[in-house]
Amino acid sequence: MLFPTVEFGLFFLAVLVVAWSAYRVNWLHKLFLLAASYFFYGFWDWHYVPLLFAISLASAVIAQRIQASEGLRARKLWLVLGVMLCLATLAYYKYTVFAFTTALDLWSRLGRAPRIRIPSPLLPLGVSFFVFHAISLLMDAYRGKLKERVRIHDALLYVAFFPQLIAGPILRASSFLPQLRAHRNPAKIRINRALLLIAAGLFKKVVVSNLLATRLVEQVFAAPQAYARGDILLAVYGYAAQIYCDFSGYTDIAIGCAMLLGYRFPRNFNAPYTATSPQDFWRRWHISLSSWLRDYLYIPLGGSRGTALRTAANLMITMLLGGLWHGAAWTFVAWGALHGFYLVVHRAWTSIRWWPLALLRCTAMWRWASRLLVFHAVCLGWVFFRAPSFAIAFTILRRLAVPGLCTLATVPVSMALFAGLVGQFQPLRWRRALEFELNGWPAFACGAAFAAALFVIELLGPSGVAPFIYFRF
Amino acid sequence: MRAQRYKSLSQLAGAMAGFAIAILLLESEALLVWAERLEIGPARAEALKAATFVHKKLEPIGAETVRQQSLAALDRLGWSDDPARLAAARNRIAAIHSPDMPFIPTMAKQSRSTPAPANSAPPRGAAVPILAALPANTPLAQLPALQGNQPRVVALVGDSMMAVGLSNVLLREAADNKNLRVIKAFRSGTGLARPDVFDWMEEYPAMLGSDKPDAIIVAIGANDGQGFVDNGKVLPFGSAEWIKVYQQRTAAFLDLLTQNGARVVWVGLPPMKSSQYDARIAEINRIAYSVVSQVPQATWWNPDFLVGDSSGKYREFESSSDGRTIRLRQPDSIHLSDEGAALLAPTLMNWLNARPLHIAELETPKTLRAAERAKTAKRSH
Repeated sequence: MLFPTVEFGLFFLAVLVVAWSAYRVNWLHKLFLLAASYFFYGFWDWHYVPLLFAISLASAVIAQRIQASEGLRARKLWLVLGVMLCLATLAYYKYTVFAFTTALDLWSRLGRAPRIRIPSPLLPLGVSFFVFHAISLLMDAYRGKLKERVRIHDALLYVAFFPQLIAGPILRASSFLPQLRAHRNPAKIRINRALLLIAAGLFKKVVVSNLLATRLVEQVFAAPQAYARGDILLAVYGYAAQIYCDFSGYTDIAIGCAMLLGYRFPRNFNAPYTATSPQDFWRRWHISLSSWLRDYLYIPLGGSRGTALRTAANLMITMLLGGLWHGAAWTFVAWGALHGFYLVVHRAWTSIRWWPLALLRCTAMWRWASRLLVFHAVCLGWVFFRAPSFAIAFTILRRLAVPGLCTLATVPVSMALFAGLVGQFQPLRWRRALEFELNGWPAFACGAAFAAALFVIELLGPSGVAPFIYFRF
Repeated sequence: MRAQRYKSLSQLAGAMAGFAIAILLLESEALLVWAERLEIGPARAEALKAATFVHKKLEPIGAETVRQQSLAALDRLGWSDDPARLAAARNRIAAIHSPDMPFIPTMAKQSRSTPAPANSAPPRGAAVPILAALPANTPLAQLPALQGNQPRVVALVGDSMMAVGLSNVLLREAADNKNLRVIKAFRSGTGLARPDVFDWMEEYPAMLGSDKPDAIIVAIGANDGQGFVDNGKVLPFGSAEWIKVYQQRTAAFLDLLTQNGARVVWVGLPPMKSSQYDARIAEINRIAYSVVSQVPQATWWNPDFLVGDSSGKYREFESSSDGRTIRLRQPDSIHLSDEGAALLAPTLMNWLNARPLHIAELETPKTLRAAERAKTAKRSH
């Protein structure tokens, strides 16, 4: 079920009514949410519902075993078993074809590759996300971050909870399971904040992202040979805005829906294109994934505790695997490598303690120059992320040298690009002021205003809604 | 605290009530459009019943006026992505500015002010018999050589079978070719089975605008393995009536494509991984072939020998000439990948017979002068 559809709207209204009707009986409330989450997942394709259930159940049982084991060795064994199970599932569905084709290509370079039948399983929706949830449950149980014993039904709901099931944000078991323990408190629902988040998310996805995708990015990336510098630049900036609006739009809707149900999700984006360094970018972009990779991969690898060379290697490994998580293709690995390289270079650069440089770094001009540089470095990464092959990515870069005008800069495209990129520089206080203003309105009027916002989004949006980019991951 | 809790819940209920009333007032028409576009089945029937009830109740108070006027204003600004709506808006503006010009009415897609007919394709004569066997490899005779300096205008037409993979490869092939001008007339999520969702008979002329292609490559039908409603009657996929109506629609669409003398290659749909879906696609291919084979200007071309296995069945991987293993299909096992589509491109480009200019033809006066100077220098030596 896609978020910006009538089907989801009807589903969510029904869930909201029933969930709050049953909130006094916590187990019933959670059981209903679990059933609703499986319905949400199965509505798209029921074939993978057993897989979701099996991964959730296995991780919950193993997490219980980890908690129940006394010795470190036994705990570690259970952890390794659980993580291997999760990674094997992910590897089978996501990386089988990639691994086979890469191996065969290497083999053919050495000699005649054998003719074998390559298995190509269909990728279950959101598998990367629910597997990462399951691993978080295991890791948090192993590290003793879960204060109470894992309950099977809570763990099942944690992995399958529908607002985050398909494309995150990636929740931590240590922060979400305690929420499931407690009774919902309707006094804590920030209705207006939730409605603002949902409306903003829908606007970003339905209007900005779709418009940029269909009228600019898809055209140029399909055949960059046909375009020159103006359009190529526009398409690269357009994709930067599109992917931000697509993904942050999804997580805004997810956070808003969870908030209306009485749950708190972490913030996943914080104006990423205002970042002044690669490190700053990763603190603002897909925060739940970057912190997941930091806590469960970078730090266990040794983090920055070793030598400069070891830290650089750890950064590169983390970003390469992060790239591979996004997609089973070498272009995604190149994207990860590029970001790893940025982080390593930035780390070396910040270690220079020369005082005139330190003074320069404090100036506003330097900050803006850094923003511009980081944004363009990120855009260079997006070229490899979006292009279906290296050939297309390099054609895009080569065509930047061919002079030409922006023929695709129509009024709707320019407005969407402006909203997607410059919109990130809006002060946070504007949203807070709007929420504060709405808090003075009667609830009925707030609901009607939300309907009016949806009406405007429906008018401005394209006639068909494309799936979210992050569904593929 | 208890009072506070109830207050919060009552606020939530109030917000939901405000939302429900406002959204029904503003979007009753859009809800009806949504219900009509659902897949044929009991869920659609119920949704349609409810949406029609709401729409009828709210119509007398003019609830849909705001939406219709807003859409019309956006169309005038060129905001819509629907070619037919944009064309209608342009026609209206042109009619206002030059009252002598005839007004060409075109349907506003998302507005129900001019409801879409269930079967907008005009019925043709007697249905042609459905041919059971598809030709394995129809040769595509080259189009006549280009005359003069005019490039060949080719339209790429279809649903996602054209939009994903095939169009990318053909556009790349044509990018540096001054002898080819490509019109993009494809739209994912469309087909000939559901004109109530996307009416190709209306959208195609709007997509072309004033262009007149002399060659057309069509790949369409991947979404057509579904039932539809015709004259108020539900026709399940594959039934005799369904075949008859679908055949009429295909024939009418082909008439539209060829009406200006354009030559058409109708690319057959490739074999599919799911056996159930593959059977439906085979049925659609048979109908398309039966219709296309009646029209001398058009050729139905089977790509199975390129993207299928030796018996024409589904195949996912292939070894390229340089020994690499390439994936012929997208991960959805339905659409062609760029590599898969690239196998079709040489045949289609050869059919178009619009090779890029040779180096000699490309010589500019400047290069000609340089060549002349070189010749003179050689002679003087």
